[in-house]
Amino acid sequence: MNQFITIFKKELKDILRDRRTLIMMIIVPMIITPMLIVGILKIQRVQLEKAKAKEIRVAFLGKENSSQLYQIFKEGEKIVLIDNFPEDSIAASIASDEIDGAVIVRSDFPSNIESDRQAKVEIYFKSSEAFGSAIKRMTDLIESYDKQIVEERIDRLNLDKDLFNAVAIVKKDVSSVQERIGKIAGGYLPYMFILFSFMGTMYPGIDLGAGEKERGTLETLLSSPANRLQIVLGKLGVVSLSGIISALIAILGIYLAIQMIEDIPADILKVILDMLGFKIIITILTLVIPIAVFFAAMVLSISIYAKSFKEAQSIIGPANMIIVIPVIIGLLPGIELNAKTALVPILNVSLASKDLLAGTINPFHLVEVYFSLFLLAGIAVWGCVRWFNREETLFRT
Amino acid sequence: MITVTHVSKEFKLTKKSRNEMGGAYRNAKTITAVDDVSFECLPGSVFGLLGPNGAGKTTTLRMVATMLKPTSGNITVSGFDTQTYPQKVREKIGFMTGQTALYDRLTPNEMVRYIADLQGMGVNEFKSRRDQLFDVLDMHDFANRRIARLSTGMKQKTSIARTIIHNPDVVIFDEPTAGLDVMTSRRIVELIRTCREEGKTILFSTHRMEEVKLLCDDIAIIYQGRLFFCGTLEAFEAQMTFDSFEDEFIHMTSEV
Repeated sequence: MNQFITIFKKELKDILRDRRTLIMMIIVPMIITPMLIVGILKIQRVQLEKAKAKEIRVAFLGKENSSQLYQIFKEGEKIVLIDNFPEDSIAASIASDEIDGAVIVRSDFPSNIESDRQAKVEIYFKSSEAFGSAIKRMTDLIESYDKQIVEERIDRLNLDKDLFNAVAIVKKDVSSVQERIGKIAGGYLPYMFILFSFMGTMYPGIDLGAGEKERGTLETLLSSPANRLQIVLGKLGVVSLSGIISALIAILGIYLAIQMIEDIPADILKVILDMLGFKIIITILTLVIPIAVFFAAMVLSISIYAKSFKEAQSIIGPANMIIVIPVIIGLLPGIELNAKTALVPILNVSLASKDLLAGTINPFHLVEVYFSLFLLAGIAVWGCVRWFNREETLFRT
Repeated sequence: MITVTHVSKEFKLTKKSRNEMGGAYRNAKTITAVDDVSFECLPGSVFGLLGPNGAGKTTTLRMVATMLKPTSGNITVSGFDTQTYPQKVREKIGFMTGQTALYDRLTPNEMVRYIADLQGMGVNEFKSRRDQLFDVLDMHDFANRRIARLSTGMKQKTSIARTIIHNPDVVIFDEPTAGLDVMTSRRIVELIRTCREEGKTILFSTHRMEEVKLLCDDIAIIYQGRLFFCGTLEAFEAQMTFDSFEDEFIHMTSEV
């Protein structure tokens, strides 16, 4: 026990003095997370506003067939109308961004409108255009014209408006704001802390295994009275702790990011901050602990097998992908925590966190998640200890 | 005291290493790194394990230090069997290799303290032993500087201090002077002599014949895992048919 504490204390001191570990463990999750969240939202908003504010150039063909529609387009905000555009060059001009769209009103349009039939307006656009702002603005204007004509017809024929709206849908959403946000955004929180808890274990894990071999200190340690179980557990303790701290800091980073986003309505902000309340964070942390222990055992096993820092890195790098896959599956809509998914490691943490945040967690499933995680962590630690006891692993040539 | 009795060590061969080694090893499942080796190292004397690279020296030393388990035979260190009482054995030994084997982010003080703690030394015992060693090795000036920033000489001193901080009965040196300059090598040689004067058992491996002459009381010559000679240095010199150690060694092993 004493030796375990000695090793734990020394390894902790050692990694806390390693700049690389500190950057990965504290700085990256602390700064990258808020920057990523706030940055992406900001870029998205700026782009959207830009698209809205952009002046679009629309070719209007058949002005003589509907002066009313032409007028509506003319009065439309930030629209430059081009008359007398040759019809055969519309497609090419939109493709080359010379114009953003085109409206064609054919000669049968007035007669159809006058005889209360359906008249057609053709619009040309490019759906690949970012935010589809041209098509949306053109459609909005035509729809407003359509509404105007329909209302005129109803009035003229003295009909009841309800004739055309036989069924009105009255939507009553019983999910709370917390549930809605939890289900939509809840997946990203576990995504962040699962990844960061893995990244937090990476450098210390490599350093305390392969690094020890590279420095030649492994022999010093192995020829000390500490037995191999104490050595592995001391190292695992520090690597796991590093993963847990990283995850915690990532959560803190998200918390900060939310407060940095300017245009969250006050009531929604309150719900979000309530969601990230003490009790939920503690529950999520209890999920992080076994997952961090699992990552630590995995990284340390690879690291102790590798002959050098470089080799360990080259094996652990791709392992990142294996972790990302279940996390991304957890982000997909329709994948929910049930008796089966609760048993799939990593994915279950992602799904359970989503439910925890939404306040809809099924306690039975949560127990299953814990069972699966602790079992996995236990197996990983057992494997790591056995691995460390193998002469072929320690003195691999 | 170290007693090695009929010790052999086999390693499993991976497919990759079988292919790399080729020849007789292509179909072999194991390779014998140490083959029926016996010798005895006495307290107050220096025992040199002599042989070229790959002869089985490091494997033998690692078995003595309980890092590897012998496939057959047994080893005792200060009366404790390495397989039955590995922890007791590790309390008795100090192990040093050619690498300084230090933690760059610790200071010499912390490094030495770490080993002392692992050895279960009491605080007062540690402090007096540390001060004594730091005096002898003239280490006080850099005792609290990070090891990464120390010169090779300072690192070597730290490495010496950590090897013998717990005042072990047995000190094992695995090619301690490999790659070192003359000055630093000399410090190791002095350390070995001091340990001998203190009555410690010293087992040391080398492939440098001049070190053997300089230091050893007893020697064992090992080649391809097998022992070719075991006895006192005088006995070896008496039966030499060539003038130099090198020539004698090459002659001895040429028949294999």
